Amino acid sequence: MSERALAERFNEVVLPHLGDALALARWLTGNAADAEDVVQDACIKAHAGISGYAGGNARAWLLTIVRNTSYTWMARNRPRAMMAVGDLGDLDDMAAAHGTSMPDEDGPEASLIAKADSAALEAAIAALQQPFRETLVLRDINGLSYREISAMLAVPIGTVMSRLARARGLLASELGRAS
Amino acid sequence: MTHDDGLPNDPEGIRLMIHALVDGELDAAAALAVERRIAADPRLAAEHARIVALQGAVSRLPRPDVSDAFRARIAAIGMAGTERQASVEAEPQRGTPPTLPGLIAGAGGGQRRGAGTRPSQARPSQRTRRFGSFDWRAMAASIMISAVLASGATQWMIQSGVDDGFAAAVASGHRRSLLAASPIDIVSSDRHTVKPWLDARIGVSPPAPDLVQDGYALIGGRVEVISGRPVPALVYRHREHLITLVAEPQQGGKTTQPDDLSSGGFSMVHWSDGAFSYWAISDMERPELDDFVARFRKAAV
Repeated sequence: MSERALAERFNEVVLPHLGDALALARWLTGNAADAEDVVQDACIKAHAGISGYAGGNARAWLLTIVRNTSYTWMARNRPRAMMAVGDLGDLDDMAAAHGTSMPDEDGPEASLIAKADSAALEAAIAALQQPFRETLVLRDINGLSYREISAMLAVPIGTVMSRLARARGLLASELGRAS
Repeated sequence: MTHDDGLPNDPEGIRLMIHALVDGELDAAAALAVERRIAADPRLAAEHARIVALQGAVSRLPRPDVSDAFRARIAAIGMAGTERQASVEAEPQRGTPPTLPGLIAGAGGGQRRGAGTRPSQARPSQRTRRFGSFDWRAMAASIMISAVLASGATQWMIQSGVDDGFAAAVASGHRRSLLAASPIDIVSSDRHTVKPWLDARIGVSPPAPDLVQDGYALIGGRVEVISGRPVPALVYRHREHLITLVAEPQQGGKTTQPDDLSSGGFSMVHWSDGAFSYWAISDMERPELDDFVARFRKAAV
């Protein structure tokens, strides 16, 4: 493929998804300024690897690169923020053992959640542990399917589902408490 | 209370199914069954309402703006390659991926030019695309429609052993194709016909080398629906045997060597090349299928 065709492909594959790329990087790094640096790094990698893009969901392809770049960037620039979350397997076992969401009687009314203010919601998302946060963001902010998330994180779909349910359960109870 | 609608009966399992319903991950039959459970149980209805409300609140969160300056910077990265080519002179680029140092140097130059003299070129009139709720709903809906159209047998228990389930679905798709009036939806020995046909239908097409000189003729393709998702399948013929090659797109997946999954009278081999995860199945003997896999992998590189 010629350089020009690769450049056109880069424009088609990467540029339409910059908003999503920034949103993901913002939630993985914690702030919008770092997100631009991370996405720029990721786009350089995407450009280098564009010939390996085999079609399919361009957004998921780019977001995979953004995710990996985010963690590399965080490890280099914000090592303190990269908290050891222990073994991910333990975390998933915990999620499974404790149920994916709170007991029904503790669940806040849907109307309370619906009118929660965005600052409270953002704080609650930021407070989630990383595996739960990234799963929630990939699904509810970036709109990826379970299967796409499963491929990106290299975990079974059942794990994606339980992490997502756990993340939503934690957010719901947090918002119920805040209001 | 027990149900015989095929849904999990434990509270944990049914909760996950409600999330899957809200996320548009269930096919019509499963969605109907979950909706009935919700209608019959106020606690499940409250959980469903909570999930919907939370998803709505998250989707209304402000999104980072893509500033013009930032978009121009990224567009400049894309233009770096063409600028380099202008100085190097056109030559076959196949097999020579751009190197990173060259890119970074080129990106600097492109950035100045993109930001300075030609902003309109640096930023094609691409609308800022918002991935609001419409986008994923449309996607989920289209997947569900194709699932309903293409498969009478609904296959929706997405939790249960992904890989085994996938292999079993590939096998039953192959068997069904042998019974159907035609094992292929697009009849063509020309990969330049098969690939665009698959692209137009599901937006994905795997490498489709014609191996006729190796004794394996590409005779067409079809769309399989596996775990509720359409995936491309190529059909090759070797003497009187048909080979179905299902290629599931992977995102940043691992490369794996061929793995034998043969059972039930069929030979099946599974491998991944990072871009696609492949399942080849046929009623040929295993060594012959291995030969096909080796030749396909060689040609698809």
